[in-house]
Amino acid sequence: MSADHRFLIAQIAQGDKQALAALYRALERPVYKFIVSRLNDPVEASDILHDVFMEVWRSAGRFEGRSKVQTWIFGIAYRKSIDAMRKRGRMDLTDETPDMADDGPDQETCLAAGQEAEHVRYCLGTLKDDHRSAITLAFYQDMTYGEIAEVAGVPEGTVKTRIFHAKKLLMRCLSGRVERGMA
Amino acid sequence: MTDQRIHELLPFRANGTLEGEELAAVEAALAEDADLRGELAVLRAVRDTMQAEQAESPGDFGLARLMRDVGAEGGADAPATANDNVVPLSRLRIWQAAAAVVLAVGIGFALPQFVTGPGPDPVAVRDTAPETGEGYSLASGVETADFTIAFSPDATEREIRALLLDAGVEIVSGPSAIGLYELGLLDFATADGASEILSSADIVEDVE
Repeated sequence: MSADHRFLIAQIAQGDKQALAALYRALERPVYKFIVSRLNDPVEASDILHDVFMEVWRSAGRFEGRSKVQTWIFGIAYRKSIDAMRKRGRMDLTDETPDMADDGPDQETCLAAGQEAEHVRYCLGTLKDDHRSAITLAFYQDMTYGEIAEVAGVPEGTVKTRIFHAKKLLMRCLSGRVERGMA
Repeated sequence: MTDQRIHELLPFRANGTLEGEELAAVEAALAEDADLRGELAVLRAVRDTMQAEQAESPGDFGLARLMRDVGAEGGADAPATANDNVVPLSRLRIWQAAAAVVLAVGIGFALPQFVTGPGPDPVAVRDTAPETGEGYSLASGVETADFTIAFSPDATEREIRALLLDAGVEIVSGPSAIGLYELGLLDFATADGASEILSSADIVEDVE
């Protein structure tokens, strides 16, 4: 798969639109899902997805092949999501960890949940962006911590720390919901 | 390896990307610690749940938008077109260019009401000449359109997508400069059934 993506990037760099379409079909869903997980806005996420692949089209010739194509594209998506959040004034730029992520959940939301997926979705939503992104890339994309570090442009140690705290907060949130009988 | 280090690596044991010494260290810790095994089970469940989550991505609609903007961009920012089948109107033989213009005028004549109002997302005029080979074709290989359609300007992407799925059609090309899309029938759909669904939809201004 990785070799296929590299071939497509090489073709895109030559101006091959069909290669761009093929790469879009291959990666559109996971990239979109990642962006939505950060922005929580399907319409804005669609626009960012579009911008990501426009940048792929424009920058394919500058792809040096030092990382996976997927990692490179997720990196573009990561940066564009940050730009979008900054424009909204929603960006938390610190790496501080909140003491408690599950601070008073919306009772109505909890009662309506009724499913494990809803618990996970809710608890992911309580995490700050850096933590949620790291967990999303690790669990949805099955990336290594090295790949996540590349996407986020931070040292591997930072990714491990983010994952560690995200996991702790996620566990606390999930167990809190189970204890309160929000199944 | 410290306890925190093991906990840092546990999610990567859950997603199966851990290797070598780190994997061995985590496996050793798991063998001795039931709580850690329980945590790993929860992390795997979280991972499985996340991977099972469905997101309605833009799909073919997003691809059509991408191809339109890539085609419209041209200029210095676009990559070199070594393997491009795009033929700018200015490079066509006169008769080819004339045929393209006649086709565009023909569509405009057949659906005059659309000329006065912009479609959902107008694009450059050269997109209206499919004979040039410009634009994209779907992977399904559909080359001829069964319908030409205009959506109301306030139709959302979600509404359009739902309608196309319901009618069993896909976008073959478009939007044109005047906001027209060409639709092709999917294998399982019938022309009459699709026509009825499309014609009765509130978000459709006209369909032929």
